[in-house]
Amino acid sequence: MKILLAVLLLMLAASGTGVVLTRTPLRQVLALSVNGAVLALLFMALQAPDVAFAEIVVGAAAVPLLFLVVLASIRMDRSPRAPDRL
Amino acid sequence: MSPKIRLLVFLAAVVCILPAVGRLALQMPAFGAHPLPYGDAIDAAAPGERHVTNMVSAINFDYRGFDTLGEEFMLLCAVTGTVVLLRGHRGEALEARPGIVRGRAIAPRSEAVALISRLTAPVIVLFGVYVALHAMTTPGGGFQGGVIIATGMLLAFFGDGYPGWRRVSNSKVLDAFEGGGAALYALCGFASMLLGLPFLTNFLPIGTLKDVFSGGLMLVENAGVGLAVTGSFLLLFLEFLEETRTKKPKDGP
Repeated sequence: MKILLAVLLLMLAASGTGVVLTRTPLRQVLALSVNGAVLALLFMALQAPDVAFAEIVVGAAAVPLLFLVVLASIRMDRSPRAPDRL
Repeated sequence: MSPKIRLLVFLAAVVCILPAVGRLALQMPAFGAHPLPYGDAIDAAAPGERHVTNMVSAINFDYRGFDTLGEEFMLLCAVTGTVVLLRGHRGEALEARPGIVRGRAIAPRSEAVALISRLTAPVIVLFGVYVALHAMTTPGGGFQGGVIIATGMLLAFFGDGYPGWRRVSNSKVLDAFEGGGAALYALCGFASMLLGLPFLTNFLPIGTLKDVFSGGLMLVENAGVGLAVTGSFLLLFLEFLEETRTKKPKDGP
């Protein structure tokens, strides 16, 4: 159990650092989703399945989806000459 | 502010805050320890008093039911605000064209994605209903079940594209779910008052321990939360996904 928790905490630190260090918004959204999934696993290991359910759906699926839609919408409204950096 | 000054300000802040953070970190209770007595008190009292085995539900819907009413209306207000901001004609038609980014082709949906989405969506929705129904006995509840149902329904977008998604998510039905669920929760409280009891008192028979239909009024409140959460999340998805369609000049935002 201790090893599992340690591994999950390390994964959480790594994926959280990944979110901060990613620079392109699209990859940031995916990193955020991975971070949410790892967080849900940690909640599960800490015997909080209630929170794990909410986290895996909201953190790993719903919020990234809304961000993706926002990115797509911004990109469609952008004039064709502007640099495509999203 | 140049990056150099910004870094200096950041380092100064770190130097100021670090001793306090370090001192607090050393005084924290050990990992996994829970020094406050409330959790143990609920664990001891709820099965006998309320005949439920999911203590989180007992707290959410009974001991602190009024707080959940507040959260319920917070969700309602947040989603209503988003919908008011985003509602327009854009994307309302079944045949609305996908938005175009110049210099980028729209890739066709892969058959594997369609197959997996179609196979798993009904199972996920069913699991969501199960989680929402068994709020009193196993972990989960109206909120968790509701968000699982909403994401399961969303798979229709990945499996059958925009027209399929529009067909399964009717905005009028979702409005009714969202508002009706919140109203059901509030009416539970007023029903107690009609009987001369304090607001949100659990007046229904509480049933037998470990039975799906135990917990009395908590069951109705849980159903209200489940309906409201399913409706609000699907409404959010619907309004956001409308923004991925092409905009016609006469359409609103």
